[in-house]
Amino acid sequence: MTTPTSDVLRRLLPGRRSALALAAATTAMTVLPLASPQITRRFVDDAIGGAGTRHLVSVACGYLALAVAGQGARLLTAWLAGLLAWDGTNRLRERLAGHALGLDMAFHGRRTPGEMIERVDGDVVAVADFVVAFVLDVVAGVLLLAGVLVVVLVTDLRVGGVLLAYCVLTGYGMARAQRLAVPSSARARQASAAVFGAVEERLAGVEDIRANGAGEHAVNRFHHVSGEMYRAELRADRVRSGLLAGTTVAFAAGTALVLGLAAWSRQSGTLTVGTAVLLFQYTQMVRAPLERLIDQLKQYQTALAGVARVGDLLAERRTLPEPARPRPLPATGPLGLRLDRVTFAYDDETARDGKTAPDGTTVLSDVTVALAPGETLGLVGRTGSGKTTIARLVLRLYDPVEGGVQVGGLDLREVDPASVRRRICAVTQDVQLFAASVRDNLTLFRPLADDQRLAAVLTDVGLGDWLAALPDGLDTQLGGRAAGVSAGEAQLLAFARAFLADPGLVVLDEASSRLDPATERRVERSVGRLLAGRTGVIIAHRLSSLSRVDKVAVMDGGVIVEYGRREDLAADPGSRFARLLEAAGVPR
Amino acid sequence: MRPVTLVTTRLTRIAGLPRYVIGALLWAPVSVLPLVDGLVLRELFDRISGHRAAGLEESLWLCAALVGMDVIRGVMLVVAWTYGTYWWDAAATVLRANVLRSVLTAPGPAARRLPRSSGEAVARLRDDVHDLVQLTDDAVPLAGAAVFSTAALVIMASIDPLITLVLVIPTVAVGALTTLLSGVIRRLHRRARMLGAAVTAHIGDMFAGVLAIKTAGAEDAALERLREHNRRRRDAAVKDRLATDMLDTVTGTTIEVGIGLVLLLAAPAMRGGDFTVGDLALFTSYAGWLTALPRTAGSMLSRLPQAAVAVERLGRLMAPYEDDRDLSRGTGVWFKGEPPAAATPPDHGDALEVVEARGLTARHDGGGGVHAVDLRITRGSFTVITGAVGSGKTTLVRALLGLMPADAGTITWNGLPVEDPGTFLVPGRAAYASQVPRLFSETLRENLLLGWPAGDDRIGLALELAALEDDVARMPDGLETVVGPHGVRLSGGQAQRATAARALVRAPDLLVVDDLSSALDVATERLLWSRIAGASRDGRGPGTLLVVSHRRPALERADQIIVLDRGRVAGRGTLGELLEGCPEMRRLWSEEATAEAWEQARGQAHQGA
Repeated sequence: MTTPTSDVLRRLLPGRRSALALAAATTAMTVLPLASPQITRRFVDDAIGGAGTRHLVSVACGYLALAVAGQGARLLTAWLAGLLAWDGTNRLRERLAGHALGLDMAFHGRRTPGEMIERVDGDVVAVADFVVAFVLDVVAGVLLLAGVLVVVLVTDLRVGGVLLAYCVLTGYGMARAQRLAVPSSARARQASAAVFGAVEERLAGVEDIRANGAGEHAVNRFHHVSGEMYRAELRADRVRSGLLAGTTVAFAAGTALVLGLAAWSRQSGTLTVGTAVLLFQYTQMVRAPLERLIDQLKQYQTALAGVARVGDLLAERRTLPEPARPRPLPATGPLGLRLDRVTFAYDDETARDGKTAPDGTTVLSDVTVALAPGETLGLVGRTGSGKTTIARLVLRLYDPVEGGVQVGGLDLREVDPASVRRRICAVTQDVQLFAASVRDNLTLFRPLADDQRLAAVLTDVGLGDWLAALPDGLDTQLGGRAAGVSAGEAQLLAFARAFLADPGLVVLDEASSRLDPATERRVERSVGRLLAGRTGVIIAHRLSSLSRVDKVAVMDGGVIVEYGRREDLAADPGSRFARLLEAAGVPR
Repeated sequence: MRPVTLVTTRLTRIAGLPRYVIGALLWAPVSVLPLVDGLVLRELFDRISGHRAAGLEESLWLCAALVGMDVIRGVMLVVAWTYGTYWWDAAATVLRANVLRSVLTAPGPAARRLPRSSGEAVARLRDDVHDLVQLTDDAVPLAGAAVFSTAALVIMASIDPLITLVLVIPTVAVGALTTLLSGVIRRLHRRARMLGAAVTAHIGDMFAGVLAIKTAGAEDAALERLREHNRRRRDAAVKDRLATDMLDTVTGTTIEVGIGLVLLLAAPAMRGGDFTVGDLALFTSYAGWLTALPRTAGSMLSRLPQAAVAVERLGRLMAPYEDDRDLSRGTGVWFKGEPPAAATPPDHGDALEVVEARGLTARHDGGGGVHAVDLRITRGSFTVITGAVGSGKTTLVRALLGLMPADAGTITWNGLPVEDPGTFLVPGRAAYASQVPRLFSETLRENLLLGWPAGDDRIGLALELAALEDDVARMPDGLETVVGPHGVRLSGGQAQRATAARALVRAPDLLVVDDLSSALDVATERLLWSRIAGASRDGRGPGTLLVVSHRRPALERADQIIVLDRGRVAGRGTLGELLEGCPEMRRLWSEEATAEAWEQARGQAHQGA
C-alpha cells in the first residue's frame, strides 16, 4: 500500500545508473573548488620560500586545470540534474494525466481545463524546479559548506571554530530576516496584481468607457492604483535592500574576523602567509551556498504544497463501479435503448456545468423511454429540463440513482466500459478541436484508418472541398481555439469522427447557434446519413430536425411531460408538441 | 534617432531629469567602493606576509576598515535603491498611462488597435513597459561598472601592466560571449516556451475534450501524444537551461582563469619580490568585479532588439497619428495626491433633433459586418434594431458610435457632419449600454458614475429607470457595495441593468442600449422599457432611444424597427407594417413566439405540479 505522496516521490526518482552519475558529478563539482585554495597556499608559500619559477608555473597550471574542471563539473551536474528532473516530472505528468482521464465525468464536470492544466502541469513545475534546485543548491551547497568547514577546522582549529560559529549565526539570522521580507513582498505583489487587474478590466470595457465619456476618469483611477503600488513597492524595496545590505555587511564582518585571526596567528608565528590566503579564500566561498540555501527555504513550502496537491489528485477515485463480470455489447448492428423508471440527482460530488439545479435536487424523475434498434428519439425542452442528463446516462457518464439504462438488452452497469465507448457515440454541440493535425483531430491520435478512408469520410460529411482547400491536406494543423474552422465545419468534423467509430447508438446534441444555409443543409444531410441503420437520441434545438425522428419526448423540469410517436403527437391538436409546431409555424 | 533611443532618453526625464541623475549618483559609491576593498586587502596582506613591517594593531584596524567600507556601501545601497524606486515606478506608470489614455480617449476607434484578448494587451503594458524601463535603468550599473573598471585597470597597471593586460583579455571574451550567447539563449528560451505552451495546450485540449476522448476510448492515444510533447519540451528545456548555465560557467571560468594567469605570470615577479602577496590579493579581488562591465554591456546589447519590439508593440496600441514622443511624454506622476479630476464636458448646446447615418458600411476582418445601412433617428423616437444572431445588429451600433471603424458612410447630427463619432457621440449627446456588461472592481457608485458629476437624486432616478433600485436597496452596503472583479458579485441581470443605469445617469439626448435579453427575463425587460419610455415622455429621462432587441416588449413599443439580415437592411417600419411585408421579420417574430410558447408551457407545467 503506497500513500499518494510516496507515489509522487517514487516517480521522480531517476534510474540507478543515472543517480550514480549525478552523485559523481555533484561530488566532483563540490570537491574540485575545495582544492583550489590549497594550491594558492602552496603557490604563495613556495614563492615566498624561494622555489624555482618552473615549479611555481606548474603549480599555477594546476590551478588553471582545477578551475576549468570545477566549472565543467558544475555544468555537467546542472545538465544531468535538469535532464533527470524533466524525466521524472514528465513521468509524473503522464501518470497524473492518465489518472485524471480515467476519472468519471462527475469529476471533470467540476473542473475547467485551465484548472486541470494547473493540476497536471503547474503543480509539477513547482516540484520540478525544487528538485533541480535541491540537487544544485541544497545538496551541493551543504556539501561545499561542510567541506569548507572541515578543511578550515583541520587547517586551523581556532579559525575553523570561529567560522563554524559564524556560519551558524549568520545562517540563522538570514533565515529569520528572510521571513521578515515575506509580508511586504506579498503586499507589493498584491498591489501590482490590483494595477494589472484594473487595467485588464478597463481594456475589456474600452467601448463602454469611450462611449460613456469616462476615459480621462479611468486614467485617473489608474494613477490612483499605481500610486498604491508605488507605496507598497517602496516598503518592499526598503526591506529587500536592507536585507541585501545586511548580508553584505555580515559577510564583510566574517571576512574581517577571519583575517584578523590570521594576522594574530601570523604574529605568533603559528600560520604561514599561504595559509592566511587560503583561509581568506575559503571564507569567500561560504557566501554563495549559504545564500542559496536560505533562498531554497522559501521554495520548499511551495514545492511541498505542489506535492500535496499532486497527491490529492492521485487520491481521487472513480465513482462508477466497474462491473464484476463485464459483458460486451453486440459488436455490430443498431442497439436498442430502454430507460426504465430512471431517477437521477447530481450530488455534491457531481455538481455539473448546468446551473439551474442546485446539488442534491432531483433533475430526472421516473423517466421511461424505449427505442427499438434503428429507431430515433427526439428530446425537446427548455435549457435545464433534463435532456442533457438523459444523454449523459445513455453514455454511462453517470449511473442513475433509481431505475436502469439498458442498451442492446444489457444494463449498462454490467457492460464492459470499453465496449460502451466503442459502440455508443456522442456528437456534442461544442466540438473540441485539438491543437494538432486534421488527421489527429479525426482519429483522436489513434491509428484508425488510412488517409484514403479519412478523405472519403470527410467527403461523405460534405467537407471534401474544405479538405481540398487546406494547405497541407490532412497534415494541416488546426488551432486549439478552432482557428480557421467555422462552427458548422467543426460540427461536420464531429460527424466524421462518429462515422469512423461506426457506433450502434448515437447521441446527438444539435448545435443551437444559427449556421449559414449551405452549412445547415450539409449538417442535415450528415445527420440523416449518420442515423441511417443506427439507433439515435437527438437533443433538438431546431424544430425542423424533429421531422426525421420516430418518437418525441417533451421534457420539463426533469419529467417527460409528453411522449409518443411523432405522427401521433403532431396529429393531436391538444398536445404541447402540436402547439409548439403551430407557434413556430412549422407544418405538421 | 532610433525609436528605442528616443524613448529611453525621454524616460530619463519623465520624472524630472535631476531625479534620474541623483539616483545614478547615489549608486556610484556602491559600484566604486569595491576598489577601496581591494586596496585595503592589499595593505592587509602585505602586512600579514611581512612585506611591510607593522604591528598587529594596524592589521586589525585594516580589518575594521574593511567592515566599515561595507557598512557605508550597505547604507548607500539602501538609499540608492529606495530612491530609485520612485523613478522606476514613475517611468513605468507614465508610459502605461500614456498608452491607456490613447486607447481610452484618443479620437478614432480603438477596436483595431487592441489585440484580440485584453489579457494580451495587459501583457504588453506590463512586460514591454518593464523591458523599456529596465533598459533605461541598466545605464546606471553600466556607468558604475565602467568607472570601476577604468579605475581598477589604472591601479592594476601601476602595479604590473603586463598582468593587467592579460587579465583584460578574458574579460573582453566574456563580453563577446555574453552578446553572442544571449542571442542563442533567447532563441532557445523562446523555443522552450513554445514547446511548453504546446504541452499545456495539449493538456487543456485533452480535458476540454475529455468527453470526446472518453467516449472514443482514445485515452491511451492522447497520453501517448502527451508523452511526445513532453519529450520535445524536455529536450528544449534542458538545452535552454544548459545555455544559461554555460554563460554563468564562462563568467566563473574567466575569473578563475584570470586568477590562474595572474599566478602564472606573477611567479617570477613574486620570487623577485616585485609582486607581493598583497598585490595578488588585490588582483584576485578585482578579477571578479571586472566581469561586471562586459556582462552588463552584453546584456544591455542583447536587450536592445527586445526593446525595439516593445516600442513597436506599444506604438501599435496608440492612435495612428500619435508617435513615440506621445508614448514617452511626461504627462505627470501622481504618487502623492490625486491627479486633477477629469474635466466635466461642457453643455454641448446643440440638442438632438435628428441623427442620421447614410450608407454606413463596417466590415470585420473575418467577414461579416454591415453594408450600406441608412438610419434616421428623430428626437423623441424609439428605434429598435432587430435581426438573427450574426446579422450585424451590434456592429451597426458600434459603427454608429465610432467604436469600430466605418469603411464607408457619413454620420450627421442635426444635419452637420460628424468627423469622429467616437469622441462626438458621448455624454451628454449619447450614452451606451453594451450587450456584455463591463463592470470594474470598484463600488457600485463608482461603476455608475465613472467620474460623471451626478448627485444621489440623479443616481436614484437612473437606478429606478433601470429597474435596479430594489436590488440596491437589498444590498447591505447599497451603492457602496464593491461589485468584485468584472462585477462577479452581481447576478448577470443586475450587472446588465447596472450598465443601463450607468448610461442613464449621464442623462444623454440619445440612449443606445444593446441587447439586454441574455440576462433579463421578458417581464423585467418589459418593466425597464415602460419605465424608460414613461420617463422620456415626462422629460425626466433620455428623450430618444436606439435599442437592439428581438423581444416583443421592445418591438411592440417601437416607432421604427430596422430589420437586419446578414448585414443588410431587410426591412424598416412599424411592427405592423413589417409583419405584413417583411418575411425575415415574420420569421424572427415566430421564433420569438416559440420562445414565449416554451415559457408558457413551462408555466402551465408548474401550475399543474
